[in-house]
Amino acid sequence: MAAICLFSGLPPAAPALDLGYGDWQLHGFLSQGYTYTSGNNFFGNSRGAGSLDFTEIGVNVLGHPWPNLLIAAQGLYRNAAGSDQEDFRLDYANLDYRLPLGGASYIGVRAGRVKNPFVLYNEGRDAVWNRPGVLLPTAIYFDALALRQPEISSDGGLLYGRHAFGDHALSAEFLVSEVQDNTGGATEFLTGIPNAPGELGGRPFFIGRAGYDWMEGRLRLVFTMVDLDRDFESSSPFVPDGKIKLTAPLGSVQVNLEDWTFTGEYGQIFSERSGFTAGGIPIENTSEVYYVQAQYRFAPRWSALLRYDAFFVNIDDRDGRDTASLIGLPRHRFFAKDITFGLRWEFAQNWLIAAEYHSVNGTAGLSTADNPELNLGGGDPHWDLFALMLSFRF
Amino acid sequence: MRRRRMRFCLTLALWVATLSAADGPLAPYIGRKLSQGALGHEQLREIFFVRQSKWQDGTPIRVFVLPDSHPLHVRFAKEILGVYPYQLRSAWDRMLFSGTGVPPTVVDSAEEMRRRVGATQGAIGYLGE
Repeated sequence: MAAICLFSGLPPAAPALDLGYGDWQLHGFLSQGYTYTSGNNFFGNSRGAGSLDFTEIGVNVLGHPWPNLLIAAQGLYRNAAGSDQEDFRLDYANLDYRLPLGGASYIGVRAGRVKNPFVLYNEGRDAVWNRPGVLLPTAIYFDALALRQPEISSDGGLLYGRHAFGDHALSAEFLVSEVQDNTGGATEFLTGIPNAPGELGGRPFFIGRAGYDWMEGRLRLVFTMVDLDRDFESSSPFVPDGKIKLTAPLGSVQVNLEDWTFTGEYGQIFSERSGFTAGGIPIENTSEVYYVQAQYRFAPRWSALLRYDAFFVNIDDRDGRDTASLIGLPRHRFFAKDITFGLRWEFAQNWLIAAEYHSVNGTAGLSTADNPELNLGGGDPHWDLFALMLSFRF
Repeated sequence: MRRRRMRFCLTLALWVATLSAADGPLAPYIGRKLSQGALGHEQLREIFFVRQSKWQDGTPIRVFVLPDSHPLHVRFAKEILGVYPYQLRSAWDRMLFSGTGVPPTVVDSAEEMRRRVGATQGAIGYLGE
């Protein structure tokens, strides 16, 4: 037996994805999904024969022009029918400079269009390869709601650091950025005004995230705090200007065992809207979001998923009755409780297929673009969703 | 030159002997002359989780790995790094699709690993017997 050592000197060969210079690489994914619902619409016309209006294609390039400087950019095409009509977008494009501090610790700064350091699954979520199943839990990740795009990435900068000691590591990130809330219905969602005539502006968006992990994530504990403070400038004489403030603390736990992974995330969203509200009086509200999830890798390349996720628009009115009588919409608009069972199979190198079945009580997680009747007192309170996704990566 | 190379190989071999598991030795494979001494578990994790991007002398680190289900990769992850292969894959995919790091290059076979690591400045991989 011998440890082999060689000396370098020959120019590198260039296979598929290496761009042939330094460590530059090109990667991407093509994912096509199918959704079928027993009631309501999820990603297109999913009743009847189901919907294929669910496509995600990404291409990225990344590399280090100098050892501690990373340049990375990803373009994305996403179609999710009514809830995502942006088509092509720049998903991220950042410069990242890292300063090692000795040992296994470092600090760094990342600037440009950056992925928001938000809870556990946000940063890599556009690729199904990074998700536990076809869809992320609606409760925190709002996949069919207008807040999805603002959640994902924003333009600005973030400071980050990591300090490792033995098998433990502490990490922290702090983001200051321009939130993308003037896209795709986010203004309507945040102000609560359908077809809101105007724009959101105001001070930068802040997110702080701190984490502890043991043994590279066998145990992960994460705390995220989101802080948004926006001014609504109305372009209509019939709608006054106003403010919306949103603060959301969220905690996450994950345990990674050999065959099992257990995950739980819990958060509350405190909001205060004023100005454009009835009589201009500030309206405060606290929403609650959480999920618990188990994944079981029962065979090589296979995993099974079981999850319960819950979203309550008003934590003081979890069955929605009081909000329903106040607003005049059915109570199922104000909560969504979802039990999901899924399977994921990497059937060939770089290919995966995932399928899942959701049994949902409540319509709070549904897109009003795909389901306009939700704003008119309609909608099916109990509904099932079957989702399938096939993906290739390179 | 030859004598220096042999001495370095012996040092690494002795170190690997204390780490290797019962069913055959497995060693990190360095495609360059190591001047800072043997690499411990923690530093190997920093390298294979792509958090450390350069060697002490400033040369960029280029990491090569085998496919996730390759038996050598599974053994390297569990025995040398102390992690499950899916933990590596999750970390690499997260950094790749979020623009926060360049994951290791996946090669198809041990022979290709040997060839690529030997041909690339600053490269590191792993080999078994």
